[in-house]
Amino acid sequence: MSKKIGVFVCHCGTNISATVDVEKVAEETKKNNPRVAYTTTYKYMCSDPGQKLLRDKIKEEGLTGVVVAACSPKMHEHTFRNAAVKTGLNPYHVEISNIREQCSWVHPDIPTGTDKSIDLVRMMTEKTRKDKSLTAIKVPVTKRALVIGGGIAGIQAALDIADGGQEVVMVEREASIGGHMAQLSETFPTLDCSQCIMTPKMVEAAQHDNITMYTWSEIESITGYLGNFDVKIRKKARSVDLDLCTGCSSCWQVCPCKKIKSEFDMGIGNRTAIYIPFPQAIPSKPVIDRENCILFKDARKKNIKPNDSKVCRKCIDACPIAPVKAIDYNQEDEIVDVKIGAIIVATGFRELEDGLYGEYGGGKYEDVITGLQFERLASASGPTEGKIKRPSDGKEPEIVVFIQCVGSRDPAKGCSYCSKTCCMYTAKHTMLYKHKVHDGHAFVFYIDIRCAGKSYEEFSQRAIEEEGATYLRGRVSRVYKKGEKLIVLGADTLTGSVVEIEADMVVLASAMKAQDDAEQFAQKLSIQYDKDKFFSEMHPKLKPVESSSAGIFLAGTCQGPKDIPETVAQAGAAASKVLALLSSDELEREPVVARVDRQLPPVFSTCIGCFYCQKVCPYSAIESEDIKARDGSVIKTVARVNEGLCQGCGLCAATCRSKSVELEGFNDEQIYAEINALEFN
Amino acid sequence: MIEALRKKAEELLKNKTVDVVYGYGEGSVPERTRPVFITKPEDVNKLTWNKYCVYNLTTYLKKQESRKLGKPAIVVKGCDAKTITVLIKESQIKREDIYIIGVTCTGIGDPPATKCKACDVNTPLIYDELIGEKIGNKEFSFEERYAELDEYEKLSEQEKWDFWQKQFEKCIKCYACSSICPLCFCDRCIVDKNQPQWIDPSAHPRGNLSWNVTRAYHLAGRCINCEECQRVCPADIPLNLLNKKLAKETEKNFKYRSGYNVDDELAMATYKEDDNQDFIK
Repeated sequence: MSKKIGVFVCHCGTNISATVDVEKVAEETKKNNPRVAYTTTYKYMCSDPGQKLLRDKIKEEGLTGVVVAACSPKMHEHTFRNAAVKTGLNPYHVEISNIREQCSWVHPDIPTGTDKSIDLVRMMTEKTRKDKSLTAIKVPVTKRALVIGGGIAGIQAALDIADGGQEVVMVEREASIGGHMAQLSETFPTLDCSQCIMTPKMVEAAQHDNITMYTWSEIESITGYLGNFDVKIRKKARSVDLDLCTGCSSCWQVCPCKKIKSEFDMGIGNRTAIYIPFPQAIPSKPVIDRENCILFKDARKKNIKPNDSKVCRKCIDACPIAPVKAIDYNQEDEIVDVKIGAIIVATGFRELEDGLYGEYGGGKYEDVITGLQFERLASASGPTEGKIKRPSDGKEPEIVVFIQCVGSRDPAKGCSYCSKTCCMYTAKHTMLYKHKVHDGHAFVFYIDIRCAGKSYEEFSQRAIEEEGATYLRGRVSRVYKKGEKLIVLGADTLTGSVVEIEADMVVLASAMKAQDDAEQFAQKLSIQYDKDKFFSEMHPKLKPVESSSAGIFLAGTCQGPKDIPETVAQAGAAASKVLALLSSDELEREPVVARVDRQLPPVFSTCIGCFYCQKVCPYSAIESEDIKARDGSVIKTVARVNEGLCQGCGLCAATCRSKSVELEGFNDEQIYAEINALEFN
Repeated sequence: MIEALRKKAEELLKNKTVDVVYGYGEGSVPERTRPVFITKPEDVNKLTWNKYCVYNLTTYLKKQESRKLGKPAIVVKGCDAKTITVLIKESQIKREDIYIIGVTCTGIGDPPATKCKACDVNTPLIYDELIGEKIGNKEFSFEERYAELDEYEKLSEQEKWDFWQKQFEKCIKCYACSSICPLCFCDRCIVDKNQPQWIDPSAHPRGNLSWNVTRAYHLAGRCINCEECQRVCPADIPLNLLNKKLAKETEKNFKYRSGYNVDDELAMATYKEDDNQDFIK
């Protein structure tokens, strides 16, 4: 039965009609295509009356196929398909011909735009002729979410999901949750103590009935698809039994390895080999650093089991737990399997390595420190208990120079982007410094001051006007040591003069970078990432928390530099997406998925099983299937598409030499019809 | 060498290591050989080896008729052995399912085939048993390997187009090229698909062009240049020129040579961040 196709051409105000004669498009389409039963134009097809027009005409004219010539299908395909469903028409008989983004917006004059529109509409009517009814794919949902990362983003997301009544599994690779926020001293723009607002959330997450927490653990693998992920979590050997340990501190007080640089203190403080990263750590139970512990070093050298080494057993001897000690030197990594319905990635950022700026003495001079190191200096729980002392000799610095945009906005050092938080935290640093060293001088070198945000501008003005920080607009060319002083050579471009400051300490506002292993991790998850290795959102404006893979969401700085309020907001948004997803027992998915040919015996399938499709699939959606005879012998091994995983990108269909893979909704006949419509007219 | 070959075949059949030996047999005239399929130990004397053993017997690994004979041992020259590497990589055979009798070879055909001029696989790279004295494989530079393209590459774009138009006009669509090709192993070729009919089946210029170009593209990054397609073409179309050109482009852009290493990632199915993309315009 041949189709009765209706064509609806949208003016889109003047967006389309300015360079496309829409009336002519409708007229020509009707005239030259016998299968087009009805054409019309309308000012705004997506408006309520526009949709009503579509519905009414489907019924009145008995249309069995619809082409809406309008904007990109990304915008309104869903709208028009939904409208069609209300009339009883299968939504996959509705196609969009994009005459806006790909036509009216790019062509300057009416004749070109109109001719091209006529061609585009004809192509789409030909495709519509070959459209088949498709039904949405239903997949069951495992009602449990996984949150990867235990920083403020992960904690907030986990709490929101857990409060919504769903189970959450949280994985943090460090020994404690808290992330970077736990390292900060005070937070802008209110100068409230970071730990004071952070720790209640940490405690709440740890004690929440719906949250299962795995610290000192990493994601081993993720397979499966939206609603049905299979996740393997590697619980790294902590060497401490979390159930037995009470966190009494006996072990780390006696540990003889006291000179290990503390990661939490960004290397300016020390810790022991058995340690908790910071006093408020959750869980407040130690971990043994096997790299640096002398017992493990000895065991590795002698190639014996750690427990057989007798070099040092101070911590286990000090452990008061009896009869079984809470410390277990022989503990091994453990793999935990969990079934997951949706995933939030909140893996955070790292600070730019300080050795990268040799000209500023980063990594060379002890008194040139990074922003996070300054946070630890200013923090009450830090190595100096909140007193500002320079690392080299413990003296109170009288002059501190803050250099902004270290790494950020510097393509030569690999970050072309703005790290967004540095202007604000540098202003905060000057205040913290001035509050603690009343007669000290703070100088700030900046390119621009970017303080867009509620109360942000006022905050930075306060640093300048009330706290007396001296802001100099210009770059620093060099920092070098002269006696005990650091000489900062820079320019003040507002006065056009060269500035030379004898500083006691220099603080670099280092860029926020993606985690070192972000790329490998994104590949493990099959999500896309940008040139800076930050994970990409699905749409920069309209889908800011969705990743490129269905069921995986993004929160916090793993997606791009952002401050705490923004991170918390994004985490909440991601959590609400997850809650919506987990609220139903079954999920409906677009049936635009690839299918591998299946036929009756003796062919079974034209697929020959070369598995090029499997190799090119970015979503690991292609599996191999053995077609078996009744006696169980394998007749043929062929490819099969996992509908749950397939995102309908079509790479497999393009790769297949024998054309044995087709994409539903974009099958060979449909594409061929479109091409033919162009060639022979 | 022939004796050693026959002895090995006999041993393999007697021990039931394999069910059949694919090899070369005497032809109707001394300058010809033919493929033979030996299933009984007493028939091994039918096997021979000489410079007229041009065929790439690995093509029989894809044919239902020969596969029915059971687990094969196969006599391969260095060039043919490269096919097996590709077949393993493309999941068409498992290494343990075949027994490879490699023969060392110093060139075949009379006059010698083009591929033998810059042969770097006199001793096969993959085998279970080697027949003949092991020859140290030579190494050739990139330019030497693709020297046969020198003349062709001097042509202008228009001249190249005219050249191929003229060549493809001769094509009679007999599909001997794909029947002989050991890497054209699809059960249903794209040319056999008629819904929609991507490639016009009749032998006129438009269909001929799309067939020949598609055939060559489907071998890009895969063809090991055994030259069998060119040898069997009744219209004398220099098909290997196309194959060789694509092999050169693949090596130039992706540093990949088909058939040399089982562990290399397939050039056409692997994305690397540092892939050369200059040619995409």
